[in-house]
Amino acid sequence: MPIQPAVNPYPVDWSGENPGILLKEDPDGPFSAMALFFRIAYSPAGPGEALLLYEKPGAAESLPGTHNVMVSTNEALGRFLAESFVARLAAFAEAPAYGALRHVPARAVRAEGDPRSAYAEIVEAEGFTVELRWSELGEPVALELPPSLTGPKDRELFTVLVEARSASILIDGRALPGVPGSRVQAGIETTTAFLYFSESWMTPA
Amino acid sequence: MSERARTPVNGGRVDWTGDNPGIYLKTDPEGDWTALAVSFRVTMSPQGRGRAMLVLGAPDEAKGYPEAPNLCIAENEALMRYLLDGFVSKFPTFRGRAGLAAMPIRPLEDASVEGTYQSVQVETVKSGNASLAMTWGELGAPFAVEVSPEQCATGEHDMYSLFMEASFGAIAVDGQPLPGRVIKRPFFGTMMSSAFLAFSETWVTPTVGEG
Repeated sequence: MPIQPAVNPYPVDWSGENPGILLKEDPDGPFSAMALFFRIAYSPAGPGEALLLYEKPGAAESLPGTHNVMVSTNEALGRFLAESFVARLAAFAEAPAYGALRHVPARAVRAEGDPRSAYAEIVEAEGFTVELRWSELGEPVALELPPSLTGPKDRELFTVLVEARSASILIDGRALPGVPGSRVQAGIETTTAFLYFSESWMTPA
Repeated sequence: MSERARTPVNGGRVDWTGDNPGIYLKTDPEGDWTALAVSFRVTMSPQGRGRAMLVLGAPDEAKGYPEAPNLCIAENEALMRYLLDGFVSKFPTFRGRAGLAAMPIRPLEDASVEGTYQSVQVETVKSGNASLAMTWGELGAPFAVEVSPEQCATGEHDMYSLFMEASFGAIAVDGQPLPGRVIKRPFFGTMMSSAFLAFSETWVTPTVGEG
């Protein structure tokens, strides 16, 4: 339920789309593959698209052998997101892959499908293509979260969550191991595969 | 700092979400609007996804393009009709405008965005020989807005959005600029230009009893 005042008093960090997929091979084990996609309408580093991909979250290595990468249409944006946002998401920031992250340019980015049924984000870079695919999608839910209920813990969030009960990450057509797990967000039992649309982050001064 | 209390999960039905910038112009600051334009990039709705732009260059003329500069170009006509019926026709600026009913909807064949909010942003859509363009410049800092039905443009929805005020705005049909300039108007307790970018906008029909 919107609160007053209507104009949020806090500065805006960034705004856009932020779907993701976190996979596990063992429900009690570590994440086996992780991805966050960003289609940014506003940020201090400009607009653009970026894909954070951990092919091997537990490996402190990157290309050419391992796709632990930030692929973006705007490298300044990719670095802004990695340093100011991803760095505050414990599951991503504490993974060995984070420290080895390599930034590479995107050659093409496109969305496919309909978030009411099945949806995909496809990112092409020099030498490889990544597909994030979501299906068995739920009803959209509007969230307005105080800082304590967000990943970074220091900013307010408006977003629309669409849960996916099935999802996959593919590199050049090869599916990475694992399946989505379960999680709780703002009291909602949901999964670690999700679409987030119209997401805006505001940080109290 | 203690955080502001919120109900984190809006229990209403999400109707649509996406971007929805606009430009409204007047030739006489004391008179009625003389040109209206809104653009849509919808990422999710009951009618699917799509882009569209709507221009009323003669808002009160019951004529459509090419007789009058009242035209909509849409990628997804079903989505556009959903937006017109449930939202645009209820916006105070558009409510009761004869041009809205007379305006044809033509299929979008090409769309482009040049520049960004960091300087000047131009959105253009084309259908056959027809083109519509909106230009925003002199943009301010972004700010988030959240409103309940009593403050919302439709009077029926919860709405979340991110606005950037544009001190400059222009609308063109077939490359010809429409007359008029932006004005300052009341906006949730302050004054804001009638040209604005609006990103990450979500419209929610509240659960009965919560609105």
